[in-house]
Amino acid sequence: MNKPALYLSASSTISHQPTFGNPGFSAALGPVETSSVLISPDYKAYIDAGLLRRMSKILRMSVACAKDCIARAGIEQPDAIVVGTGLGCLQDTEKFLNTSLTVEGLLPPTSFIQSTHNTMAGQISLSIGNHGYNMTHTQNTLSFEHALFDASMLLREGDRHVLVGAADEHIDMLEDIAARLEFKAAAPLTSGASFFVLSSENGGNANAELTDIYTVGGTENRQEEIDAFLDRNGLQAGDIDLALYAGAPVQGAVRNLDYLSLIGVYPTASAFALHYAVDVLGANRDVRNVLICNALRKSNLGLTLLKAVEA
Amino acid sequence: MGVCITGIGVVSAIGMSVEENLNALCEGRTGIGPLRYLQGTKASLAGEVKASNDDLRKALNVGTEYVSRTSLLGLQAAREAWGDNKRSGVIRTGIISATSVGGMDRSEVFYKDYLAQNNPDYKLLTTHDSGSTTERIAKELGITGYINTLSTACSSGVNAIMLGARLILQGTLDRVLVGGSDALSGFTIDGFRSLMIYDDQWCRPFDESRAGLNLGEGAGFLLLEGEKSLELTGNTPICNVSGWANAADAYHQTASSPDGKGATLAIENAIRRAGIGLNQISYVNAHGTGTKNNDHSESVALQNVFGDRIPPFSSTKAFTGHTLAAAGAIEAVFSVLAIQNNLIFPNLNYNMPIVGTGLVPATQLGTDLEVNAVLSNSFGFGGNNSSLVLTKYE
Amino acid sequence: MDSLKEDLKKQIIEQLNLEDLTVADIADDALLFNDQGLGLDSIDALELIVLLEKYHGIQLTNPEEGKEAFKSIDTMAAYINKRKAA
Repeated sequence: MNKPALYLSASSTISHQPTFGNPGFSAALGPVETSSVLISPDYKAYIDAGLLRRMSKILRMSVACAKDCIARAGIEQPDAIVVGTGLGCLQDTEKFLNTSLTVEGLLPPTSFIQSTHNTMAGQISLSIGNHGYNMTHTQNTLSFEHALFDASMLLREGDRHVLVGAADEHIDMLEDIAARLEFKAAAPLTSGASFFVLSSENGGNANAELTDIYTVGGTENRQEEIDAFLDRNGLQAGDIDLALYAGAPVQGAVRNLDYLSLIGVYPTASAFALHYAVDVLGANRDVRNVLICNALRKSNLGLTLLKAVEA
Repeated sequence: MGVCITGIGVVSAIGMSVEENLNALCEGRTGIGPLRYLQGTKASLAGEVKASNDDLRKALNVGTEYVSRTSLLGLQAAREAWGDNKRSGVIRTGIISATSVGGMDRSEVFYKDYLAQNNPDYKLLTTHDSGSTTERIAKELGITGYINTLSTACSSGVNAIMLGARLILQGTLDRVLVGGSDALSGFTIDGFRSLMIYDDQWCRPFDESRAGLNLGEGAGFLLLEGEKSLELTGNTPICNVSGWANAADAYHQTASSPDGKGATLAIENAIRRAGIGLNQISYVNAHGTGTKNNDHSESVALQNVFGDRIPPFSSTKAFTGHTLAAAGAIEAVFSVLAIQNNLIFPNLNYNMPIVGTGLVPATQLGTDLEVNAVLSNSFGFGGNNSSLVLTKYE
Repeated sequence: MDSLKEDLKKQIIEQLNLEDLTVADIADDALLFNDQGLGLDSIDALELIVLLEKYHGIQLTNPEEGKEAFKSIDTMAAYINKRKAA
């Protein structure tokens, strides 16, 4: 079956690196420092003050990226909003858990309301008055890939523009938990949000085409899966000009880059990798095919294939 | 042929299996009562599954203690829906579960000890994330490949069914186990109490005197198969998943709009997708949580869509309690049972119509109507509204 | 200035994260739930119920009752005084 092309019309990332409102950032990006903090834009420029005052970090990042993306894509409304998150609204979850276990009297409800995983997608719809399909995927390290796959299905079903993204936030107790569970992170634990407008047509502003996306849970044969995926797309490893990986490099690719070293570790860091890939494809004519190979968790594999927009 | 349902499984406060749930529904027997297994909460009434974690682990043959109740309940229902089906190298099989709390029932045990510096067991947190609840169920059933979890608060279960149907229609999967699971937790009980919508008495959906919900717990799963899978498994279809829709209300973080905008869109689009007339809907399994806001908004939405010809409708939440992300899946199983047995389930604890809308739900078990198509609604926080249309297999 | 009203304003700013406001920005008779006033919503109403219990020891279990009491700083102060006198 010949799949119609899908275009990345806009991308936006808030992270520990200068990614926001900074096209071409990929050229000068160095490793993320352990001492780095989240680089926040002036949120008031993006979010109504009445909503902003209640919002935790993950909500601010998500809504600001979403609005920035919609403006960059030059669309009024997306037909749908699809979000992926690995751990959801940790700050509000911990806050309400704490309240629930320590406060004897009446409990303030705000952190409970905002502890649910779909708060990002819900707040985006509320902020822009969107009545379309509104979905939240949460599948560990593959949460973003599942959201992106859903978005690509929606476009094949007839939608024209889908807002799709992912976010995860850091809270202080994560380092302690990681140490106790003997989780050896490949880079510092960080926060990040990346959003995109995925479109069924190129309005002239697309930097990249999404060629294919594939997820597999409970896998033991990473290499076989990669080979089969490339084969289905008529490619070999040597055709991959840039492989952005978490876990292990892609054998045979022209160039490999560990994206976690750039952005830090959070469950949906592969959404940053997608933005990075789009940025590279927009700036560098020598790069044709980019593969994002997400094996942040060994048993879960996410493969996302992009190519330069046909001139 | 479309997307067929060939297996169902359910566990809730009214029973550990499809058969037990059906019996309770027919006998008008609620499962809501004082909590017995979950201790230390402020809820006087809830729809608790009548089994301890140890009972469930033994019955399901799960060795490890590091497993959330959400996973155990999900596995119970998923195993029943899966039945005697075999793994296959040819049939592309996936699993989609829905949960809102994930492993919160374990996390809150950890966090209590963590706060008290009472030697907290960090390993309990390995079951916290929602995705891990589904990965656990998939592992026990031997399913690899497409494994996914949705979390859209109280509409999650319907969304899992909808996503599964779309994956089959697009040819990504041949069959998929879809459903939802949520365990009771102090976290959610306190949460709904903080919103002042947790009723200390029995919940009374669609009644003028309604004062809130009772939480429940449980899981529902359905096995969906497309044409290719059916040819290979030879399974007998029970129903079709014919229509679905999700829409955002975009009105308020928690409250539904007074004009029922998102709910109206979801219902209309689901029926349109099913390609049937409004008058062909035999029964509506309503969201009907028993809160002032939901039941009013849902009534308005039903009037927006059906005018003065609203089909027989009821909420089954006075049987099970509101099981959050599991609700849409459990109620889809109940909708299948309604079609299979030509039944309309009663809306318990109803007395007086809501002033302003005046809708009267079915209060007795209906056995004299042919039930060919059921609309099932699930509406959640963040204005997330989903509707599903199931039809008799033809 | 009435110290109860001043306290209420401080407590509201803290409880509702009204970061951009100071006590001087809130008039005693400003409508709390009106967009021309503070523009609060139903979630804030619940937070105000918590505030009443936390700082003033007053329990209000019916959110409907709050609608009248939470109209403005003036009505909140009057409600607190009435409940304390009872």
